[in-house]
Amino acid sequence: MSFRYVRRRLLQVIPSVVGILLVGFLLIELAPGDPVLALAGESGDEAFYADVRARFGLDRPVAERFATYATNVLRGDLGISYVQGRPVVDIIGERIWPTLLLTGVALVLSTVVGIALGAFAATRRRTATDVGIQIATLTIDAAPIFWVGQLAILAFALYLGVLPVQGMSSAVEPDGVLAGILDLGRHLLLPAAVLAIGQIAVVARMARIGFIEELSQDYVRTARAKGLAEHRVVLGHAMRRAVIPVATVIGGRLGHLVSGAVIVEIIFGWPGLGRMLVIAMQTRDMPIIMGMFLVVSFSVIIANFITDLSYGWLDPRIAYR
Amino acid sequence: MRIPRMLIAPILGTFMVTACGAPASSPSADPTAPSERASAAPTASTGTEGGTLVVAISSDPGHLNPAITTSGGTHTASELLYNGLVGLDDALNPVPELAESWEISDDGRTYTFTLRDDVVWHDGEAFTSEDVKFSFEEVLLQFHARTRASMSSSLESIEAPDETTVVFNFAEPYGPLLLQLDVTEAPIVAKHIYEGTDPVEAPANLEPVGTGPFKFVSYTPESEIRFAANDDYFRGRPAIDEVVQRIFPDSGSAVIALETGDVHWLWGVPGPDQERLQADDSIEFLRTNRNPGGANCIMTVGFNLENPILADVDVRTAIAHALDRQAFLERVLFNEGRVAEAPISSGIGWAHAEGLSLPAFDTNASATLLDGAGWIAGSDGTRTAQGVEGVEDGTPLAINFLHFPTFSRYGELLRTQLGEVGIDVELVPLEPPVFAETVFTDRDFDTNIVSYCNGTDPEIGVRRMYDSAQIGPVPFSNAAAYSNPDVDALFTQAVQTIDLEERGELYRQIQEIVAEDLPYFWLVETEATRAYRSNCSGFIAYAQFAEAASCATE
Repeated sequence: MSFRYVRRRLLQVIPSVVGILLVGFLLIELAPGDPVLALAGESGDEAFYADVRARFGLDRPVAERFATYATNVLRGDLGISYVQGRPVVDIIGERIWPTLLLTGVALVLSTVVGIALGAFAATRRRTATDVGIQIATLTIDAAPIFWVGQLAILAFALYLGVLPVQGMSSAVEPDGVLAGILDLGRHLLLPAAVLAIGQIAVVARMARIGFIEELSQDYVRTARAKGLAEHRVVLGHAMRRAVIPVATVIGGRLGHLVSGAVIVEIIFGWPGLGRMLVIAMQTRDMPIIMGMFLVVSFSVIIANFITDLSYGWLDPRIAYR
Repeated sequence: MRIPRMLIAPILGTFMVTACGAPASSPSADPTAPSERASAAPTASTGTEGGTLVVAISSDPGHLNPAITTSGGTHTASELLYNGLVGLDDALNPVPELAESWEISDDGRTYTFTLRDDVVWHDGEAFTSEDVKFSFEEVLLQFHARTRASMSSSLESIEAPDETTVVFNFAEPYGPLLLQLDVTEAPIVAKHIYEGTDPVEAPANLEPVGTGPFKFVSYTPESEIRFAANDDYFRGRPAIDEVVQRIFPDSGSAVIALETGDVHWLWGVPGPDQERLQADDSIEFLRTNRNPGGANCIMTVGFNLENPILADVDVRTAIAHALDRQAFLERVLFNEGRVAEAPISSGIGWAHAEGLSLPAFDTNASATLLDGAGWIAGSDGTRTAQGVEGVEDGTPLAINFLHFPTFSRYGELLRTQLGEVGIDVELVPLEPPVFAETVFTDRDFDTNIVSYCNGTDPEIGVRRMYDSAQIGPVPFSNAAAYSNPDVDALFTQAVQTIDLEERGELYRQIQEIVAEDLPYFWLVETEATRAYRSNCSGFIAYAQFAEAASCATE
């Protein structure tokens, strides 16, 4: 992996961002539904609408509005929310951390558990354990996330009463930092597990295939012939190459880190970006929708970039020039 | 959504989403006492004072300034912080709030309010008449869509001759004012906080300073808003120490949290969950037709009178006869409400016309009217035009029906019922902003359904539906494009009449006319059900709902 390669990839980001800006802006522009009507609610008069239009510059031609918006974005200004009257950067900034925490934990959970399950199944190929894991992961993969979420709430919150139903913290604030972290953990457990569970299935299936493929390779036979313990063969030798397909899957999903948790956030009342985006779409709060569009697109670009770089690390035979 | 004040929409909506099972039988709350107080003031026996009240709200309010918006979300979350000049009791009678008394001049053009002199803002500044003048002139009449639409054309000036006197001068006699001054229609904000700022973008919208029973403590977006009891509240410190409004986007999760005791108060309960909760002794209910986003709402079918099929009053009457409104009440609302008996809600008792005869459910009468109107049924039951004015012979009797996605159950039932008499209905679900544009700007529809909230006075929410001046691009105005000079004149006369009984008589005449003309058909009046833990008491269903509440330890 050379410096030139990294630089070239980074330069490719620029036209992508410009394209994303333009396409996003036009998509929202073409969507039916007037934000001013949404803002005015059930009443108002024409003068009121004209005032609101002028306030947000919506009375200007599309080209002019795009130019203004693009210039502002380059300065790090994503505009003012029509509904909240506050800078979009602030609004997204407040909500991005809970989303990153939730999806980050879910990602770690699904990667570790998924690879472990995959390796476990691959080393017991065509046994009852292998078939059992495969059936279980397929079933979980097919279950809709809102249903799993509701079941989890019913089971753990209503019937067992061990975990909270909603939110990121208790209504009565816990004393002390440690108690606060424990409280956060209790609230995080269910949504992160529900978000991870579908992912675990995908990762486990990809990892199983990867391990099966690698375990039949010559270098594995050599390692076994050397008399290495089986766990060192699997984890020390086969794993790095076996997880390349997993890295591709995870990389593809990394981009959804910010947006993928919408349903889970709504079911569990998690104070992240997902719920905000849904409401912004309903009210045609264009600055927020555009802001989210940019944040999500940008994270997809970055995620793909990191995934590409990780291939070289996982398998040194892959080189970029 | 600036949940466009279809406050009823989010509440109903969540019900509808979950309401896919069989119709539930009647919830037991007494529908004849829609907005009775849960109990009067808390008594000594209700147990320990203090404590934390946890309230579930369905969406993040975005900000906490109720004076710049009619959004149900913002009003639900912020009305504990503020007051209006006058309050409205359960029967919608004006009662003193920030104003302790008022006088109306004989010509009905001048209202003089005497303010309390013991009110302080949460930051310690004294409340004066200047705050009232500023709130109206700089905030409410600019940004509160309903107050602006109803009051700004007739209001001439507001004077504040001394610290405790406010005078409203109108160009013509103005009847509805006292019903437009509560915390929902006209919350009073502080001049010293907002002066010199843009009220829409002011930082104070996130750190509000009001006069209400609770003070703002903190706001965590998408998570919770915390309030503390206002020790200096002019009606006495609330019994509850702390109110936490937590955001529960999913109504099912909110119900579970009420059952587990994590939450003490819900603003609405999905219909299908009500029966289960009724059986739970630890939960009590409160029925109301008032909501922070709008009061006295009627689910109303609108006919596009510019459409040649629907221009015929016989066709509209036939549609009305074909609709079994009791079925809408039972199967869509789970009995949360009542069949509408007049164009004006029964919640506005003095204006609601009793004993009006609206077309009753009668499919035979409907079929006869359609036959007479030239819509003849073929062998397969579908009707086609024969000699209908403005319609080519052989045209099938087919209309579309526009609705919010949250109102899809109304659409499904209407389609079934109209199908019985040979009218083919195409359902068109549209998101609120698209619905508003299609119906009111483009006027591209045959029929639709809107939750028209009458408000606390017909001038607020009824006139817009019938006034010929309100045909046009303003959302939720005169969708039918109904135009009747007699009705226009009666509305003008009603707003200029001060005596409530005389006004009621004028509104009765209006209702008799529109019940004949049927530009709309009024299906059901909707109500909401508040649910709360039975260890708490003393709530009212609206406005500063927890002001007199208290909770015993469970």
